Amino acid sequence: MKAAGVAGIAGLAGCTDSLTSGDGGDGGGGNEALGNYPIEGDTATFGFNIPLSGPYGSEGQDELRAYELAVKHLNNGGGWVDSQFDDLSGDGVVGKTIDYSEADTETDKGKARENARQLIERDNAIMVSGGSSSSVAINVQDECQKQKVLFMACLTHSNDTTGKDCVRYGFREMFNAYHTAKALAPVLGEEYGEDLEFYQLYADYTWGKSVEESMRQFLSEGPGWSEVNSVATPLGTSDYSSYLSDAQSSGADVLLLNHYGLDGAKSVRQAVDAGVDEEMDIVVPLYNRPMAEAAGDAISGVFGTVAWDSAIDNTPSNEFTSAFQEEYDRIPSGPAQLAYAQTLQYAAAVERAGSFYPPDVIKELEDYSYSNIGMGEETMRKCDHQAQRAVPVVRGLPADQIETGNYFEIVNTTEASQVTYGCDTGPAAQCELGPYE
Amino acid sequence: MSEDYELRTDGGAAPATGEDAASANETEQATSRVPGLGGDEGRIIGLTALAVLLFPFLFAEAPVISDIIQGYAGLTTLILIWGIFAMGYDLLHGFTGLLSFGHAAFWGAGGMAAGLLVEYAGMNLPLVLVVVGTIVGVLLAWLIGFLSLRRGGIYFAILTLAFGQMIYFTIFGPAGPITGGEDGLLLTIGDLFGVIPLNAGVPVLTPLGFIPSWLYLIVGIFVVISVAVAYRVLNSPYGLIFKAIRENEQRAEFVGLNVWRYKLMAFVLSGAFAGFAGALHTIYNGAASASAFYWIVSGDVVIMSILGGVGTLFGAFLGAGVYLYMSNILETFVGTLWHVMLGLLFVVVVWLFPGGIWGGIRALRDLITDLIGGGGSEPEAATDGGEPGARAPADSSSDGGDGQ
Amino acid sequence: MSLVADLISILLNGLQQGAIYILLAVGLSIILGTLEFVNFAHGALYIIGAYVGLYVAQGLVVSEGYLAEAGFSDLGLGMGFIVGMIVVALVVFVLGLLFERFIARAFYDRPDTDQILVTFGLAIIVQEILRVSLGSTSQPVNQPTWASGSVPIPGVAISEWRIYIILITALLVGIVYALVEYTDFGLVVRAGTMDDEMVRLLGIKLSRPYIIVFGIGAALAGVAGLVAGPLSPINPTAGTDILVPAFVTVVIGGVGSIRGAVAAGTILGITQAALIQTQIGTYNLAPWSQVGIYAIAAIILLVRPEGLLGEEVDTA
Repeated sequence: MKAAGVAGIAGLAGCTDSLTSGDGGDGGGGNEALGNYPIEGDTATFGFNIPLSGPYGSEGQDELRAYELAVKHLNNGGGWVDSQFDDLSGDGVVGKTIDYSEADTETDKGKARENARQLIERDNAIMVSGGSSSSVAINVQDECQKQKVLFMACLTHSNDTTGKDCVRYGFREMFNAYHTAKALAPVLGEEYGEDLEFYQLYADYTWGKSVEESMRQFLSEGPGWSEVNSVATPLGTSDYSSYLSDAQSSGADVLLLNHYGLDGAKSVRQAVDAGVDEEMDIVVPLYNRPMAEAAGDAISGVFGTVAWDSAIDNTPSNEFTSAFQEEYDRIPSGPAQLAYAQTLQYAAAVERAGSFYPPDVIKELEDYSYSNIGMGEETMRKCDHQAQRAVPVVRGLPADQIETGNYFEIVNTTEASQVTYGCDTGPAAQCELGPYE
Repeated sequence: MSEDYELRTDGGAAPATGEDAASANETEQATSRVPGLGGDEGRIIGLTALAVLLFPFLFAEAPVISDIIQGYAGLTTLILIWGIFAMGYDLLHGFTGLLSFGHAAFWGAGGMAAGLLVEYAGMNLPLVLVVVGTIVGVLLAWLIGFLSLRRGGIYFAILTLAFGQMIYFTIFGPAGPITGGEDGLLLTIGDLFGVIPLNAGVPVLTPLGFIPSWLYLIVGIFVVISVAVAYRVLNSPYGLIFKAIRENEQRAEFVGLNVWRYKLMAFVLSGAFAGFAGALHTIYNGAASASAFYWIVSGDVVIMSILGGVGTLFGAFLGAGVYLYMSNILETFVGTLWHVMLGLLFVVVVWLFPGGIWGGIRALRDLITDLIGGGGSEPEAATDGGEPGARAPADSSSDGGDGQ
Repeated sequence: MSLVADLISILLNGLQQGAIYILLAVGLSIILGTLEFVNFAHGALYIIGAYVGLYVAQGLVVSEGYLAEAGFSDLGLGMGFIVGMIVVALVVFVLGLLFERFIARAFYDRPDTDQILVTFGLAIIVQEILRVSLGSTSQPVNQPTWASGSVPIPGVAISEWRIYIILITALLVGIVYALVEYTDFGLVVRAGTMDDEMVRLLGIKLSRPYIIVFGIGAALAGVAGLVAGPLSPINPTAGTDILVPAFVTVVIGGVGSIRGAVAAGTILGITQAALIQTQIGTYNLAPWSQVGIYAIAAIILLVRPEGLLGEEVDTA
């Protein structure tokens, strides 16, 4: 692709006079050292900081597969690199071959921050991606901001990631809890009726709190539900039995389980085992394929939202599913699509900027509109670095269908225009991005 | 095993009097007894400063060596911070024989105190933070020590473990709205003296590969100060009594020492180092978190101090270095297998080489001096000889059955 | 709903949680009491029991680690829960014997701090070997089909399996208690606990009863790992997390006392469950549930340093 050639030359020019000034112009020339820029040698390293163990371990493993696939396609072509991303050549990125390092966060923010340091200081990563546990993502994002290395958030759904904890060097494709609640509340109201009572159990950290607050807000504003009680459970709780007993005896009509990953699978499984579902309707606001696999038929009839699913029928989605299946002989999960899309999104922005110089790449990503990752028309908003996009609402299938390997059906895909919010409202109101350099 | 203390009549350090009679004379006498420290205080401080200065260069920049070990400069600061923590731990375990599994609480508390100050009081001057961290470490260690020292030996270990976990769950759960719970606190640490950013390079020295950043310089200076303080303490009457307790607690008691009080002092002192290092770690990380209180962190510092060598003071820095080297650099070659290797190394050291790495180095040095046939008459020779046995009586207080 | 239903569910949840603590603590306690050996690797036996049980009773899917790389990704015998429990008890019993013979015995004459250190190191090795060979992903364990319903008490949401855990624990601990209290074997063990020198002078060899005590303690830990599996998917670090409460149970109960361990485990379990389900005004006490068990431990130990049913000790 000829654009790449031009960009490559521009990149070289950027290197030669890199000592002169730092005006950070759009062309990619005349940029001073910043973070891990400029890159020495012919290889640019991406750092993938993912949970391979802990409560979100199975999500992380699927993310890693997708990252590996993305790197392969960036260097050798294939998948969306050939079909959806015109900016990408399939022959490296602005003349550099892409390599990567991975690190296991163990779903622990302290370990994740250490990893981020390793990836940046030891492996000289030019971009870090990863997530799962918003608390991990927020800590890694903070470290990346301090070190002036771009962070492409993968799976993080807390409002804070692009709300009060947003940073200039972090971007998020995943929608947030605010979006989820806006999409889910009308569906729940329609399904279960108005003026009901609900009870919430939520994971006691930034993500769980976001979901809890947002669900409360939109369930009471929309269908006029009222909250009976809301109880925090520590992340990684092994046994929800006592919490569930308490929820069940509250007399509420609907139980919201704001748990994710293995925790979510456990709490919904234990709720069904204990017979809670016989008296209450269970809702899991955010779930995904690995979670549904682990929960088995406990997920039947349960409403929620997913990042993406292979059941979404459009060209980019189908292309990704088949590329992933070809490589790994398994169906990709929502987190995998995020990981793959975010890696390509960054690379494409680098190609457009013509260099890896972070401020230039950031400017290319900001207010960029796209429709090539299977979720319809999207914008990566400049004011809070939050993608404004559609939110798929799903419902767990009956037990007999779950045995065939299908876990949920798409109830609707709520358009971006229905869930979006202004830069001065919701989580975005608390976001201050800070300077580019 | 409770009976055999009677048999132990080795010289050890047996102060004949209480603390009031501690004279300068005894201090001098003690100097020659601190294992491996040999010379005078000035020499120790000088050598420590030199080591701190050369470490990043040797680890990450020096031509042949750093290519072999694959070090990177970013890790050096972290090694020193953990080294201070482990050295403080060794002051307790290495010199009084008390095995604590609750030191994560002091390290965590120092770090969290610093974090809370930044978050809620806007106080982000690095030097103030470490002072506060130290004070919090002292106070908490006083409390936990007071409660845990009701029992000795394994009960002491389990009690410190239990109290440590209690504090961990308190910080994590009920105090979560203040401490950030699972999320922790994200902090913006101020500049040094309000003008020098900690992560910036130091003119001249950084380009030459010596001092990676101002933060390293600060931590390095703290290391020198810590070593000086620890050395001073060990050579004071206090240090002498610590060792007397380790050698033979009953005897120390019989000569009229309030053993309990000295144990508490040792515990508080090591808590001070832990809080101090914890605050440094918060500054280094730009974040504070409840997970620093988890008991496995206590396990980590135990591993570091024992790998380095029990009762060797400087060994702690080697132990921290080996641990972090394995988890950060060896990890890139062998993956998660590094942790199995660490466990094996630890078990082998506990089982067969109680002297740890520092002990090994000293044995090697003695071997060489012996081979050369030169002066084996240094005072260290005596302590070296006694070392493997030195840990044996550490538990004589532990179980029932004493005092018949 | 009703106060009665709440109390029943606190009681059942508490007893069930306590049962896991008790299974671990009884083993730890008799080993500590008789052999004066402190075992920080007790959690490792628990997790080995969990994995062996999963392998025998159900099966596990391994997607990472050395076994998966070697092509073994779908493991398991699927022989059901009862067989699983018998196999786990036997396997971990034998492991306990080997552990006593080749590791613990070398440390009887060394400082007990060395015992802590070496077993702590071994616990790390076991955990990490499990991690590199089976991966760190959690493995879901199904409830046995015959216990998959929920308790038929209106207003009480508790799965049947939890009742079985309480029953299994009562049975096993009862057997061990009878063994120690009412048999000749138990007599020797108890005598050895009080004064091993005297027993030896009487010409009784203590090494055989001792090794069996170790095996029994280990087997209980292994069974605990198996029965707790369906409550929470297992992963290599589960042993580390359970170790501390188990030790706390031992210390509160009084070292060497089976009845003490049962009392302490029950108190801790019920405290934990009660705190989770209690609310004062709008303030929920759930975050205090873990703190609560340590606070109880602290209070009991301040009043009775020897534990609830422990023997008098010198508080030096």
